[in-house]
Amino acid sequence: MSVPAETIELARCQVCPARFLPSDGPCPRCGSTESQLYLSPALGRVLAATELVHPAAGWEGPHRLALVELPEAVRLLAIVDGSLPSVDAVVAVRREGEVYRARGEPIDPTR
Amino acid sequence: MTTHITSVGTGRFGKRPEGLVDLAAEAAQRALDGIGRKPIDLLVAGTMLAHGPHGSEAFLPRLASRLSLESSSGLRVDSASGTGGMAFHTAVFALESGRFERALVVAAEKMTDRSTAVITRELAASLHPSEVACGATMPALAALVAEQYLQRYQLTTAVLDAASVHARAMAARNINAQFQRPVTAEEVATSRPVALPLRLLHCSPISDGATALVLERGRGAATVLGLGQGLDALRLVDRTDLTSFIATRIAAKRAYESAHLTRKEVDVVEVHDAFSPFGMIHIEDLGICGAGEAPAWFEKGWAGLDGRVPVNPSGGVIGRGHPVAASGLAEVAEVALQLRGEAGMHAVARTPKVGLAHAMSGIGTHNFVTILGREDT
Repeated sequence: MSVPAETIELARCQVCPARFLPSDGPCPRCGSTESQLYLSPALGRVLAATELVHPAAGWEGPHRLALVELPEAVRLLAIVDGSLPSVDAVVAVRREGEVYRARGEPIDPTR
Repeated sequence: MTTHITSVGTGRFGKRPEGLVDLAAEAAQRALDGIGRKPIDLLVAGTMLAHGPHGSEAFLPRLASRLSLESSSGLRVDSASGTGGMAFHTAVFALESGRFERALVVAAEKMTDRSTAVITRELAASLHPSEVACGATMPALAALVAEQYLQRYQLTTAVLDAASVHARAMAARNINAQFQRPVTAEEVATSRPVALPLRLLHCSPISDGATALVLERGRGAATVLGLGQGLDALRLVDRTDLTSFIATRIAAKRAYESAHLTRKEVDVVEVHDAFSPFGMIHIEDLGICGAGEAPAWFEKGWAGLDGRVPVNPSGGVIGRGHPVAASGLAEVAEVALQLRGEAGMHAVARTPKVGLAHAMSGIGTHNFVTILGREDT
């Protein structure tokens, strides 16, 4: 499997083995504030996805969200662009400002 | 030091014309009527969404003034949808400190004066800002939890329908519940989608309402046997398993230990089923049944009034209604009513000796477990 050109920035705790989504907070597992950023392939497996028929104020419906698992069990919540992906589909993710986005169309990670 | 509930007051949940303080005062006055003219030396009040015309900044003093309790001490608490649970625990801690003799605990919410979109945004304030930035709402995250639960145990949405049918059947027996009409599984399954797999009747409604109770030192028919709280990561993506709420497991362990009881001694439970999969997850996390076993409880009637352990005889959050801050206290109040033999049409079939109330903030971020028992015989 070739590594895709796209990467995403994740955090590695310097005290415990945890890998997590970067945030202003400490390590979600051990509470350490010492972490290091690293780049990971921006491909993840869809754990669950939903479509909000009536999204929160300020969003246009239907609004689709997916819980995506990246390598090393790091999870993120992504806005889905396009159709709702099925569970276990592999999707490309990217960061856009403060949010993450996933392409709705599944891709074949082996190509 | 031991404390017990000596009076319960509640009004009807649902769409009400009254304002926040009026609703709170109605429930409070009913609770006070139950103890005669005994003095209250502590008022604990909770509300979550009050602002603007409701005068949230002055909620407690306004309520104290309405009840002529200006000579009491006061504490105001807020833990989102777990506020009622937090209010009750706070009152117990205060009485157990020896500083107070008798507390009036009140939790209230006014919600139906705002649009669904506004309420949805306000409730999302209990979620992590980075997830709200993605447009996440409570129903959206609950839908992800539901999907994970269904996948893990290879279930269909029929189990979610069964949980809602149970809730509405119980509520139909409770004159204070928002919904007085039972629903069929077909009605649930064909109700409008909210955030699939969740449909409208899988979700708790927007409600007005208040609950109050009086807590005193001593022992009685609804004695506080154990309390426990648990916290979990606010950001949902930092949790490794969405088919269980760690905050409930921690709270339950602490409550059982402090009560010197096991799950097998619990005769009735009230859980915070803000969405139908949550009711199933909660009874598993509380140890009422094993992991993945909860669907059978709702499909086979084991959660009914004459079931193995009755679940949510009040109708729960889905059937009774969900004035968010009030729900956690309504859960404690329902268990107290069951133990005191005052539950009327929704009384469980076998007189309970021990009951458990569970309250939840946000998506299982800060959960509260309260164990009450009969100690008057």
